Amino acid sequence: MIEARGLSKDRVSSFLLRRSPILDGLSLSVKQGETYGLLGPNGAGKTTTVKILVGLMRPDRGEALVLGEKAGAQSALRKIGFLPENPYFYSHLTGQEFLEFIGQLFGLKKTELRDRVKQLLELVSMTVDADKPMRKYSKGMLQRLGIAQSLINDPEVVFWDEPMSGLDPIGRRDVRKILLDLKARGKTIFFNSHLLPDVSDVCDRVGVLAKGKLVAEDEIKNIVHSGGHKDLEEYFLEKVGG
Amino acid sequence: MSPVFAIALNTFRETVRDRVLYAFFVFACSITVLGILLGSLSVGQDIRIIEDIGLAVIAIIGGIISVFAGTNLVYKELERRTIYVIFTKPVSSWQFICGKYLGLVGCIFVVVLAMGLFLLGLIWMVEPSHQVAQVPLLGASLGLVFLELLFVLALATFFSTFSNPIMSVVFTISLWFIGHLGGSLLDLSKMSTNAAVQQLLSSLYWCLPDLAQLTRIRSVLMYGREPSQEIIIYMLAYVFAYIFFLLGLASIVNERREFP
Repeated sequence: MIEARGLSKDRVSSFLLRRSPILDGLSLSVKQGETYGLLGPNGAGKTTTVKILVGLMRPDRGEALVLGEKAGAQSALRKIGFLPENPYFYSHLTGQEFLEFIGQLFGLKKTELRDRVKQLLELVSMTVDADKPMRKYSKGMLQRLGIAQSLINDPEVVFWDEPMSGLDPIGRRDVRKILLDLKARGKTIFFNSHLLPDVSDVCDRVGVLAKGKLVAEDEIKNIVHSGGHKDLEEYFLEKVGG
Repeated sequence: MSPVFAIALNTFRETVRDRVLYAFFVFACSITVLGILLGSLSVGQDIRIIEDIGLAVIAIIGGIISVFAGTNLVYKELERRTIYVIFTKPVSSWQFICGKYLGLVGCIFVVVLAMGLFLLGLIWMVEPSHQVAQVPLLGASLGLVFLELLFVLALATFFSTFSNPIMSVVFTISLWFIGHLGGSLLDLSKMSTNAAVQQLLSSLYWCLPDLAQLTRIRSVLMYGREPSQEIIIYMLAYVFAYIFFLLGLASIVNERREFP
């Protein structure tokens, strides 16, 4: 379903064109219906990995496949949903107009689009604020709208970069609920997060990324129940050497 | 709805809701009104002067809006990270570029139309007996201004795909200005006795845009004469071919980009 084979990506400094690796031979695979959490300290390469998987960046070496297609191929993009980190959208549009716009990019028909937008606004508790311009939205509201736009095409695979970022405890609970609902519907979920208790609650499997390399990967049940670790945080700190 | 139309509609909405646009519009109308004062200093040429000033203001203000809106086209999407949302949807580079361009074309059309109607209202206010027969000529002149703005917008769109807004503004204004000197390059090449210089100047003429013809046609119209159809067709074909070329290049450049 999602496959990364030896992904490498270098950062080229503007001075002397010196290269430093962001990703260094990353390989991982996520099965259909699995919820996979990619963990790692800041600068480990999590966001770069997601950006390669959704086609915003190209690997220098290696290849990335999503739903059997090359990452970023139009046919793959039709079936995925993506939430960027700290999303910020068009300030002069209302939340409703924005979701309609995203639906139009998928070619949704008028009635189908109207129903889908209504349904998603309810899902992320944004119905009341749907007619306000987005410049008046708080960070949490933008995050909710970002989640809604990532689901407009009822995707088979969801990529969420820090979905809990900027949300209050109620918002985090709601997002957890959406994640569990998507999981129950058999969707494949790939997400990055720093909030380890949330990851522990929803993921089937996690990978730990450090300095561009996958240093550990295991199922949550093995980590918490039989792996001799108190919780995911202890496992994470052990693997990244914190 | 196709992605091109969806992006165009979104761009149009975003641009027309920006208050800066209205500030430009009020400023343009104020300067056009000043044309009445200048017109009153002339002897029997007041309408001509109001028309000249009005058209020049529409061309300049429309040009400024085109340059600034066009050069920010891709940069703003990158800065606000909205590009991440667009390019993770089934939208190709050419659909994005065409959609953004058409959205801004719609906005420029509204600006030119509103300022043109204001100019017409002003003319009728100063001289209620102004001949109705003159209106199509004014409309044709406005059409030529609009055509030139389409070209400026395509230039700005092209530069916005690979350089920052300041550099894009410099490149766009420079080429726009050079475009009005296009004919002079050809004249210079004919005057030169050195074959290499002749070759260089004529090559430059064929590479750089030539907008001088548009100004000439506008002058003909303002004197109440009709330009030949061949010239009009040639200019339309020339400008649209240039626009397609620039948007095609912009799509290719954008296609090769990454969005870190």
